[in-house]
Amino acid sequence: MTITRRDVLLGATATAALMPLAARAQTSEVVIGATYPLSGSGAQVGVDAQRAFETAVDIINNDQDFDLPLAKGLGLPGLGGAKIRIVYADTQGDPQKGRAEAERLITQEKVCAILGSYQSAVAVTISQICERYQTPFLSADNSSPSLHRRGLKYYFRASPHDEMFSAGMFDFLDAMKKKGAKADTLALFHEDTIFGTDSANAQTKLAAERGYKIVSDIKYRANSPSLSAEVQQLKAANADVLMPSSYTTDGILLIKTMAELGYKPNAIVAQAAGFSEKALYDAVGDKLEGAITRGSFSLDLAAKRPMVGKINDLFKAKSGKDLNDNTSRQFMAMIVIADAINRAKSTDGEKIRDAMAATDIPGEQTIMPWKRVKFDDMGQNNDADPVLLQYVGGKFVTIFPTQAAVADAIWPMK
Amino acid sequence: MDKSFTERRRRELLVAACLAVAAALVPLFVKNPNVQNIMILTLMFGALSQSWNILSGYCGQISLGHALYFGLGAYTTTLLFTKFGVPPWFGMLAGGVISAVIAMALGYPCFRLGGHYFAIATIVIAEIGLLLIQNWDWAGAALGIEMPVRGDSWLKFQFARSKLPYFYFALALACIAWIVTWWLEDSKWGYWWRAVKDNPDAAQSLGVVVFDSKMGAAAVSAFLVAVGGSFYAMYVSYIDPGSVMGFQFSLLMALPAVLGGIGTLWGPLLGAVILIPLTELTRSYIGGSGRGVDLIVYGTLIVVIALARPEGLIGLFSRRKETAR
Amino acid sequence: MTAETIIQSLASGLLMGLLYGLIAVGLALIFGLMDVVNFAHGEFLMIAMYVTFFLFTFFAIDPLLAAPLAAAALFVLGAVVYLVVVRFAMRAKANVGMVQIFATFGLAIVMRGLAQLFFTADYRSVPQSWLGGKTVSIAGIFLPQPQLFGALVAIAAFGGLYLFINRTDFGRALEATREDPGAVALVGIDKNRVFALGWGLGGALVGLAGAIMASFFYIYPDVGASFALIAYVTVALGGFGSVFGAFAGGIIVGLVEATTALVLPPSLKSVGIYAVYLLVVFIRPRGLFGSM
Repeated sequence: MTITRRDVLLGATATAALMPLAARAQTSEVVIGATYPLSGSGAQVGVDAQRAFETAVDIINNDQDFDLPLAKGLGLPGLGGAKIRIVYADTQGDPQKGRAEAERLITQEKVCAILGSYQSAVAVTISQICERYQTPFLSADNSSPSLHRRGLKYYFRASPHDEMFSAGMFDFLDAMKKKGAKADTLALFHEDTIFGTDSANAQTKLAAERGYKIVSDIKYRANSPSLSAEVQQLKAANADVLMPSSYTTDGILLIKTMAELGYKPNAIVAQAAGFSEKALYDAVGDKLEGAITRGSFSLDLAAKRPMVGKINDLFKAKSGKDLNDNTSRQFMAMIVIADAINRAKSTDGEKIRDAMAATDIPGEQTIMPWKRVKFDDMGQNNDADPVLLQYVGGKFVTIFPTQAAVADAIWPMK
Repeated sequence: MDKSFTERRRRELLVAACLAVAAALVPLFVKNPNVQNIMILTLMFGALSQSWNILSGYCGQISLGHALYFGLGAYTTTLLFTKFGVPPWFGMLAGGVISAVIAMALGYPCFRLGGHYFAIATIVIAEIGLLLIQNWDWAGAALGIEMPVRGDSWLKFQFARSKLPYFYFALALACIAWIVTWWLEDSKWGYWWRAVKDNPDAAQSLGVVVFDSKMGAAAVSAFLVAVGGSFYAMYVSYIDPGSVMGFQFSLLMALPAVLGGIGTLWGPLLGAVILIPLTELTRSYIGGSGRGVDLIVYGTLIVVIALARPEGLIGLFSRRKETAR
Repeated sequence: MTAETIIQSLASGLLMGLLYGLIAVGLALIFGLMDVVNFAHGEFLMIAMYVTFFLFTFFAIDPLLAAPLAAAALFVLGAVVYLVVVRFAMRAKANVGMVQIFATFGLAIVMRGLAQLFFTADYRSVPQSWLGGKTVSIAGIFLPQPQLFGALVAIAAFGGLYLFINRTDFGRALEATREDPGAVALVGIDKNRVFALGWGLGGALVGLAGAIMASFFYIYPDVGASFALIAYVTVALGGFGSVFGAFAGGIIVGLVEATTALVLPPSLKSVGIYAVYLLVVFIRPRGLFGSM
């Protein structure tokens, strides 16, 4: 007797029909949605995010010996070993499309939670839809501080927002000043979309509070064909610290234009984004020796926590890149949401939400330099500390805060 | 001749009424929110494209900057609501009137420009509008503005899950844009525009009055597009400069009319019915790969339709009618 | 604001402007020949940049040497696009203007999609080149060598184009075809061949620009979009169809952009370009050098 595929399928359906409903729910897979720009100008981030999520899901679904929630054992034990499946949706960086895709994921693909979304503008509409459908939304990498302050019940963010990031940067500047480094005047250089605006707002406020003088505040058009005039003004201001908030494209052009116009800043302290992307250092790394960027993640952590290095290897095998600021947060977001679903023992939105609210993962069980993952009543994790990284000899070293630092900052940069 | 013309117009009105009633019944049977979303967008872009068609199709002034009026409508409504608590129904009218006035103010110098010079002028004017809003802190600048969502309300035109009110609004907008076009076709203006198209010399002798009719077309077109923008702002309940005033929006408004049949009564709706579901479905079902395949499919289709049916897809219908006669 | 800042800004603006002119001139040439605006022009530039990047990555050919190769590749691309798409768009019996706009616009989307499919969405750049990152400094004014070289190429290309159109048989055939496509058929000139070569030439010019850009700009599938609008404004400012107009338009756009950034917040610097365009066409509805 030959067994055809159809017979097997029929058999499977029959068995499924005979099983009690609850048991079936337990063995089925758990579907999680991921909304990212997968075409258009943010596509590179979206494609990298896919690799980060796959790495996390491989660890959850298979038996791996890491000290991460759910790494050991197969799938989600709380749901009878159910495996996680990710469904991707392309937002093209557009709020309306993000909204439509989130709704499709929830109603049609039956996802029980959504991760997203790189652009903060898109996170606004996705989180609205999630609220309406009582489906948790976990911001993996959105950093706009307004996102969690909208009174949404189903919104969560495990990583820091721009104000926390900027506070970290100013803590570092304060520490440097105490050591006698010259860091009194600042030049802000930020792009004109939501990321640059938020970042500059936070930095302007902090500078005033902590007694720094902003000698140049340049808001430029994202993806400008030329930054000569802008760099010329930075050069004329010649601040002690240049603080760029730029995506990869503008970051590359900024550094190239600075070199062309003979402007060598004393120090660069960047708000990640482009300055934590490999593409930027491939292009202009030789001109960035000693540049500092804030980050959510540092590979130096591998020395203390060997699993960070091993997970980085897994990710690198898929993507050809090291984990960076974005991909590390995306990886962690998948772990955090899976952990909540596992504790909820259900794919019901409200139960997952309650489990999310009760999340308490110690920092050692993450790949991040965070104290812990624990959400406040607005869904923000306030125990996620940024680190400051300095680009030295072709790689990043952690220089701040002291407990995470592996080297002293080189100041001024070369 | 006259009799058959009136008869044809009466028949068109009848067909439109039947289609509108049929469309109104669809969501009672189709409950899937994604399908409903696609239908709403289709009607909205049909209405926008129909409005664009009044100025660019009938009147022959190719505008690639209608996103300006769309954005003005969206921003006026949202700002009046969030800053002063003015209900969106009023904001919608205010946005429409502001857009119509601005369209006439811009039309005055711009209608002297020919062809591509006019099109590029409309692009750069819309870009200037975008940049000004993006740098205007009171209007939210780059951060955009979110409409606070506080439960279902007809006064605020907000509904958490139900899409039916939005659907019927979009349907009404599409009907209004269609009726305005239908009415214009048989008006004094409609005759002038046809005369100018068929015979450029007639344009000279009609000079002054045609200029006035262009101003009128610009105002009507901008008003309707602004109402569409207000609707979009309420439907999405979050706007930012790039997503309501970007150049791509101007193109999205023109595309359905061009593919369906520019300067025709049915072209924009037909174009929207084909294009919008296609755009949404390619993105939803191929876009997730992150490899740009959705762009290839979408772009190829535009090229193929533009080349194969230069008069628009509406040509498929009229040709059959002609042979039948 | 010091005098040095102003002079530096104007010098940078002039260099950038010449490059804008070089990017735009292919557009002007094609329009002058056959009243067609290529809405995939930015994507032509993107392809040229990728060609240069891959020649550098796989064969270690410096962008300087890659320039003629990129020009050749884009010559072929331009001719093929004409023969496969635009030729048919021109045959349309109705709405020729709209058909060609949307045929080339659709093509632009396809090219971006193909670039993402084959080259991925990663940001690329040519890290080391003979000119990249090098600068000439005169009395405190810095002139980056890639842009300086680009400006020289732009001037040479405009000069060459002028001689080519006015002094060669093919140039005269171009001119004749442009003036009366019907009549040239009678003297045995194949209109399609002339048009295809015209598109090839337009492509080659943007190919040159792309190769130069590649030595100091980042490269990704959407990179053309930043330059496309500037190229259209440049061409329209100078007057559609006028090669000299594109040259002058480029310089004006570059200078206006640099000056606006000095007086307004830099995020508004395009407003200056747009305002100057509107001002010019309101006074001269066919641009500075367009035929009336």
